[in-house]
Amino acid sequence: MNNKLIEMRSISKTYHTRTVLDDFSLYVRENEFLTLLGPSGCGKTTLLRILGGFETPDSGRVFFEGKDITDLAPNKRPLNTVFQNDTIFYHMSVADNIAFSLKIRGVSRAAIEDEVEKALHLVGLDGYGDRMPDTMSGGQAQRVQIARAIISRPKVLLLDEPLSALDLKLRQSMQYELIRLKEELGITFIYVTHDQEEALTMSDTVVVINGGRIQQIGRPEDIYNEPQNAFTADFIGDGNIFDALMIRDELVNILGTDFPCVDVGFGQNNPVDVIIRPEDVELVDPDKGTIRGVVTSVLFRGVHYEMDVLAHGYHWMARSTRMVPEGTEVGIMIDPFNIQVMHKPTRPDQETFTHA
Amino acid sequence: MNRKSIQTAKRLYTVLLILFMYAPIFAMIALSFNASKFRAVWGGFTLDWYQRLIHDHVILSAFYNTILIALIASILATLIGTLAALGISVLPSRSRTASLAVANIPMLNADIVTGISLMLLFIACRIKLGFASVLIAHITFDIPFVILSVLPKLKQSRQRTYEAALDLGADSWQAFWRIIFPDILPGILSGFMLAFTMSIDDFIITHFTKGPGVDTLSTCIYSEVRKGIRPEMYALSTLLFVLVLLLLILINYQPAKGNRKGVKRLVLSRVVPGALILSFLVFALFYARNDTAAAGQGQVIVYNWGEYLDPDVVAQFEEETGIHVVYEEYETNEIMYPKIASGAIAYDAVCPSEYMVQRMIDEDLLYAFDAKDLPQSGNIGDRYWKISGSIDPENRYFVPYYWGTVGILYNKSKVKEPVDSWSILWDKKYKGEILMQNSVRDALGITLKYLGYSLNSTDLDELHEARDMLIRQKPLVQAYVVDQVRDMMIGNEAALAVIYSGEAHVSQAANPDLAYAIPKEGSNVWMDGWVIPKNAKNKDNAKKWISFLCRPDIAKKNFEYITYSVTNEKVRDLVDDPVLKNSPILWSTDEELTDLETFRYLGKENTDLYNRLWRDIKSH
Amino acid sequence: MRRRSWLAAPFILWSAAFIIIPLLLIVYFGMTDGDGAFTWSNLAAMAEVDNLKALGLALLLSLSATLICLILAYPIAMILAERRTSSGTLIAMLFILPMWMNFLLRTMAWQTLLEKNGVINTLLHVLRLPSVTLIYTPSAVVLGMVYNFLPFMILPLYTVLSKIDRDVLLAARDLGAGPWQTFLRITLPLSTPGMISGITMVFVPSLTTFVITDMLGGGKVQLIGNTIEQEFIQGSSWHVGSGLSLILMIFVLISMAFVAKYDPQQSGSLIGGGGRE
Repeated sequence: MNNKLIEMRSISKTYHTRTVLDDFSLYVRENEFLTLLGPSGCGKTTLLRILGGFETPDSGRVFFEGKDITDLAPNKRPLNTVFQNDTIFYHMSVADNIAFSLKIRGVSRAAIEDEVEKALHLVGLDGYGDRMPDTMSGGQAQRVQIARAIISRPKVLLLDEPLSALDLKLRQSMQYELIRLKEELGITFIYVTHDQEEALTMSDTVVVINGGRIQQIGRPEDIYNEPQNAFTADFIGDGNIFDALMIRDELVNILGTDFPCVDVGFGQNNPVDVIIRPEDVELVDPDKGTIRGVVTSVLFRGVHYEMDVLAHGYHWMARSTRMVPEGTEVGIMIDPFNIQVMHKPTRPDQETFTHA
Repeated sequence: MNRKSIQTAKRLYTVLLILFMYAPIFAMIALSFNASKFRAVWGGFTLDWYQRLIHDHVILSAFYNTILIALIASILATLIGTLAALGISVLPSRSRTASLAVANIPMLNADIVTGISLMLLFIACRIKLGFASVLIAHITFDIPFVILSVLPKLKQSRQRTYEAALDLGADSWQAFWRIIFPDILPGILSGFMLAFTMSIDDFIITHFTKGPGVDTLSTCIYSEVRKGIRPEMYALSTLLFVLVLLLLILINYQPAKGNRKGVKRLVLSRVVPGALILSFLVFALFYARNDTAAAGQGQVIVYNWGEYLDPDVVAQFEEETGIHVVYEEYETNEIMYPKIASGAIAYDAVCPSEYMVQRMIDEDLLYAFDAKDLPQSGNIGDRYWKISGSIDPENRYFVPYYWGTVGILYNKSKVKEPVDSWSILWDKKYKGEILMQNSVRDALGITLKYLGYSLNSTDLDELHEARDMLIRQKPLVQAYVVDQVRDMMIGNEAALAVIYSGEAHVSQAANPDLAYAIPKEGSNVWMDGWVIPKNAKNKDNAKKWISFLCRPDIAKKNFEYITYSVTNEKVRDLVDDPVLKNSPILWSTDEELTDLETFRYLGKENTDLYNRLWRDIKSH
Repeated sequence: MRRRSWLAAPFILWSAAFIIIPLLLIVYFGMTDGDGAFTWSNLAAMAEVDNLKALGLALLLSLSATLICLILAYPIAMILAERRTSSGTLIAMLFILPMWMNFLLRTMAWQTLLEKNGVINTLLHVLRLPSVTLIYTPSAVVLGMVYNFLPFMILPLYTVLSKIDRDVLLAARDLGAGPWQTFLRITLPLSTPGMISGITMVFVPSLTTFVITDMLGGGKVQLIGNTIEQEFIQGSSWHVGSGLSLILMIFVLISMAFVAKYDPQQSGSLIGGGGRE
């Protein structure tokens, strides 16, 4: 996980008048599971297509192991793609689909058969080789696409929302399958998704993208716990996001009340954004909290309850395994470590997703 | 190759292919502005044909028939076809396949087989060949195009949305109109367009299923091919082309930017085309109604050669007698014959050639009347009654009308030697410069004459000798033609052509380099004349019609229109035009006629023999 | 939903009356002589040397025309399908538009272009090039076939090609196939239904034409369609004509079998399947 396998330098891409990628730079380490996460239209798929060779950037270069591959045709690149759409070759059997890239390379028939067997086994489709693709389910078809992409041992596998068409259960089990696959193959995965849960579950590194720019790069835990701007905070997980005022280091004013926090370096009397995760909102006796409020609704969510608390004119979202009935007057208490202070957005793409 | 040059190559290819598709159309448009009536000559720019088109009743009514038939046929076919697609889509797969196979038959089957099979059906069921039969035929071959356009839109997946609509409280009728119909509408529309296009473009099937008084543009053109397309037809086609192109552009009109849904776009792409089409249809219907208005003292159904009558004569006859004329044309005796023989249509007056008259007399298809005793029969010269007497000795069936000889038309600038023998048609000097008649009897006839035999020979040795001669001649022949001889000779396309005297005169008038000769070995004299079929329903009207045509002033009118040799002795004195009056081609002397022989019907076996020999020659 | 099948009833009745019965009439005429007695002789007429020659030539010319149409139509269909916008459809319409001009007139117009002193030779003359014999040759007949039936090849190909998902082609490229390999292994096999449909729609009318031969072949080219037409129109022999038509229908049946085998969904049919979903 050290050397830069792929590096993108200052990529820009504009369609007509819409800028999709804006001076975008990123590198991917060998054997990394890197996820590009962002809402639809954020440029993540374009990025993937530039990597795959299906699009040429307007400016900027793409390097693979130090070599410039920006103008290399897709079939010459050591990367394979699993497409979001169904791109199965319906006029070929499953085995022929999977064997496609080996046949193109003129690999011997015996070797192909062997490899196809292995690939089918790897994606859990043993014995399906002779089937025609139109007799298979969506999940099976997606596995065929994956098997087809990995059979030629590419150095990098690009996956463009490969699970988006599948149902929840299947999606979850495929997530584990993909992690297992990556470990067995020992190759680099670049994964595109708009599903933050998928991103947090599988990745080594998450790249949050909005408006063609990187918002934050980091380990899933960092992205979740320490979002660096309102967009990331809002897009990843649920949260209570406030316009707040940084009084001084380690003290922030939220909704007119001062809360102690641990953040420093935001200046004095400076407007900032603050995010507090719902599970960090502690509901206590009215007198013990920093501020008071009333529970206006309660939802049972399986593992926990979700409570809406109206306090100081703001609907706080709180999660707890302990249910507080509707109408109860409560106090709200926040651990200083759980208050995440962020700089105010300087560009529109850093603003909260829901407001955008 | 970089991306740009690939784009250029693609564009170039598209343009070239479009040019290929439109080259003949441009030629057609050019011809519509050609002051010369002949295709082969450019006589300067004119708008005359467009002016004449407005008054050309024949072309315009054929045009409106075309549109009307195409419209009704494609609407009915769209209805039946859409219903069929809805039904077929839910059939179990085996009956589905069977239905589709049936639907495919008219689309994949040869047009000629479809046309002929329908004609056989109509004749067998005694369904009158006419507007209705053409319409039925068109609907039949239109339906498959609709089914195959709609069916793919009825994919199984759409079933779910239909069920969802039912679930939401729609009854099946509402669900159909709101869910399935909008879904398949594009298929229905393209099916309709395709059906309409096929109808408009069809010739072969219409050709076989049409009857008297119904002509579409195709059949009208086909019968005109014989005497050369009238340039009004090019004018009409040009107008049609421009109209359709305009519609296409308007419907696809996209403003450059902004107001995509704007009023301007709506008006230009929907309202204007709609208004154009609507006014067009109203005009068409108005015209069609006008067309069938005439009625009065009964009618007479006339079956004549194409372009064999001055159209004014029909109007004059109707005006003078109050008898409505239903006028129908044919191109060859052999097309006419089965229609009479089968009795499918009761024609009142027909104008066949002498050998066909003989056959019809032999087969008892004709009505006997005293041909010589019609009020105006006396105007016909005795020498013509003598010729017709060779097949109708008592002159009881056949009133001679036009006659002519077969000879050689040659171009004096290309043929310097005197032309007096058929042998010149076998002279290797003229390789590729010879036009032969594309008809069994004419081609074999002149060869038999050249060899010194009768042109009605049934002697196998003689016939084989003639066949071998023609096979030897084939490499020298530029083309075997019927209709195009005239245009081609006028346009200096060939040096020598076997031709009918009437055509020879017209050609010579247009191109003074041309000359006509009847070879010394003898040739054919032919005669067309009027007969009344036995099953005619208006025999008295038919006699009035025939007599009317024998009136000197009418015969003169027709003569000036057709310029074929007439049997009417009074005509020559009435004619003013010196070219017509003094043409040596049109007015033969008695001695010129003596070496000439008429064709005779040779019986079925010999007809088959002739046809077989002809095929030997053609496929050699 | 089964109940909906009765909607096909008008069609079934119509096709029984105007497709099936007429065909049976052809069979009847083809298998009887003038007196209504059964005979094989009309069918056997095809075995005569002339007719075999005419059939052979018709097969040769129509197969050439079909091949040329395929070669001309495939690139244009690909170019149009690539556009994937209404302009593609517009240009496709441009190829149908000529069909609104009368078929006979268009073919006649080719005479004007091709004949000895025609437009093309006049142009060659102006350019001081030797004139060429274009008209009244088998090649002119093939040209007429290609010209008249090319739209029937372009449309089904355009329909199937525009339905191919572009990502499928990219997937093949991604998996290492070059442009040529992608074409051979993906585009070509996926367009088979359109090709089959186009081939039949060009081959059958070319095989049976007589009008094009008459106009551009100058009567020197005798095809089986001309023979049948002459039997009906000039020879007045419906029995032999029907017999020959029956034999000809064998080729039509073979074509239909092809369509059924390679395009069971009729997805390659002209414009119909054209809507992209």
